[in-house]
Amino acid sequence: MTAPVSLSRLNHWFGTYQALDDINLEIAAGEYVTLLGPSGCGKTTLLSVLGGFIAPSEGSVMIGGRDMTRVVPAKRPTTTMFQDYALFPHMSLRENVGFGLRMAGMGRAERDRKAEAQLSLVGLGDDAGKRPHELSGGQRQRVALARALAVEPDVLLLDEPLGALDLKLRRAMQDELKAIQRHVGTTFVHVTHDQEEAMAIADRIVVMNAGRIEDEGTPARIYRQPASLFAADFMGEMNHIPVHVTEHGVETPFGRLQLPAPRRGAATLCLRPEAIGTTDAQITLGPARVRDAAFFGTHIRAHLVPDAAPDLVLIAHLPPVDMPAPDDVLVISAAADTISVFAKEP
Amino acid sequence: MMRLLPWMYLAVAFVFIYLPVATLVLFSFQDGQLPVPPFNGPSLRWYGDVLGDSRLTAALINSVLVALGASLIAVTLGFLAAYGLARHVLPGSALIRALLIAPLTVSYLIVGLGLLIVLTQAGLGLSLVTAGIGHVVINLPLAFAIIFAAMGAQQQNAERAARDLGANEMQVILLVTVPMLAPAIGAAFFLSMTFSWDEFIISFLLTRFDVTLPVEIWSMLRSGLSPRLNAIGSLVFLVSIAVVLTLELFVFRKRRS
Repeated sequence: MTAPVSLSRLNHWFGTYQALDDINLEIAAGEYVTLLGPSGCGKTTLLSVLGGFIAPSEGSVMIGGRDMTRVVPAKRPTTTMFQDYALFPHMSLRENVGFGLRMAGMGRAERDRKAEAQLSLVGLGDDAGKRPHELSGGQRQRVALARALAVEPDVLLLDEPLGALDLKLRRAMQDELKAIQRHVGTTFVHVTHDQEEAMAIADRIVVMNAGRIEDEGTPARIYRQPASLFAADFMGEMNHIPVHVTEHGVETPFGRLQLPAPRRGAATLCLRPEAIGTTDAQITLGPARVRDAAFFGTHIRAHLVPDAAPDLVLIAHLPPVDMPAPDDVLVISAAADTISVFAKEP
Repeated sequence: MMRLLPWMYLAVAFVFIYLPVATLVLFSFQDGQLPVPPFNGPSLRWYGDVLGDSRLTAALINSVLVALGASLIAVTLGFLAAYGLARHVLPGSALIRALLIAPLTVSYLIVGLGLLIVLTQAGLGLSLVTAGIGHVVINLPLAFAIIFAAMGAQQQNAERAARDLGANEMQVILLVTVPMLAPAIGAAFFLSMTFSWDEFIISFLLTRFDVTLPVEIWSMLRSGLSPRLNAIGSLVFLVSIAVVLTLELFVFRKRRS
């Protein structure tokens, strides 16, 4: 089962601290959305509001067209996969996964059958009789997923579900989560602070900061054309170049550029390290001296000091073919559509 | 010599602790009228005498009933208090906690006297029930303290997950909280049992016609020493040991695994 979610004008305060600041968000049925942001940005609070664990100070939560703002978790068509999994240690995996069905009044034989089917879906079909303490972290995580999915929720909420796993397992589980989501068709809302995880898994990313939504869109759009400086920085490494916007265009150390720009005045030009290249592109940045360079396998990460702006150090990801030596001079340029300009915060 | 010293100390300490108990048990098998050396026997005649004595067996059953009933009530109330204080933000919860634990510091004599005055003023007759009430008063703080200390974030998260999966408050408590806290609840119950089983002053003050075993023993003591008393004492000791062993085997072992 699946359902759309609509959040409008959500505000929430913990005492005097505003955890959610005017959140408006539409999530389509069957969509995989990640809430991405640093700790304290309000993403977990937003998930708790969706799950019914926190009643928002203001605003409304609609799930499948019904107002759920003040409905308790037990009565919502949502389930949550908790960060620490919160499995029941005194129950077998079968009983854990069947717990929600038991609460719904399903008979033992049928719920055991469904629980075992769910466990098979996550690859633990042979371990139904085990207790949670006999499992590894990754396996517990799968049980938590099976338990949350067993009641066929319209919306599954995942609170940093991969946070406790090591990097390799995390990457494997990302693919698996995505595959399971496609298989069951349920709307998934996934909270994370890892932008790589968000990009790997989400149909749409919602970047949050200080209780507000900074940007929302497909991973590629947010990465390439972020809506704010915060979103630009959070999605990956970024070069910042101080510029000035006038009526004629954007005045940069590399000359005047005709770029879509915000209001006039001081601004920051953002350029991804991999957008800087030595092949010809629309925007020429001129010769630059290599300060140092290191080999990263997929690319060479170099610090470059452009002659046009000797105070600036640019980070560039160059193709991993010719290793530049320090003090080499490269002629660098960048494509226009990889550049964003944001007004300086007042 | 220096290596032997700690072992000797250990032996002396254990002799000091267990010699009286061992003497008591040994002379319960005395074949004679007095529980003093020389030892004649062994003989089971005093055990036969004790178990054939209807007043003693009635007192024994009374003791078991009071201990079971008072412990069940104390643990239930202690659990509910701990659950409420651990899971809800209440005004003055630190004060409530302190008031719940405070009776631990009050002597049994004061608790018993206070209850005696209140019950007499209220016109309630003394009985096993009133002694049971006294035992609830002394065991509730202990049960509360043990169970409250065991409540942590782990159960709280599991409770949250249970609610999320559709459990109502009753189901959360019975299917998640109580099973997860079973070791602490069991420990509180068995400790309450042993305290209630041994308790004399409150039972003495708050019973009249039906009495518990310690009160019965005390009234027998007034007619002088007899191996009968040793036999009763040994039986009481055996029951206490059995409760402690049960606790060790079923509660603490489970927690360790």
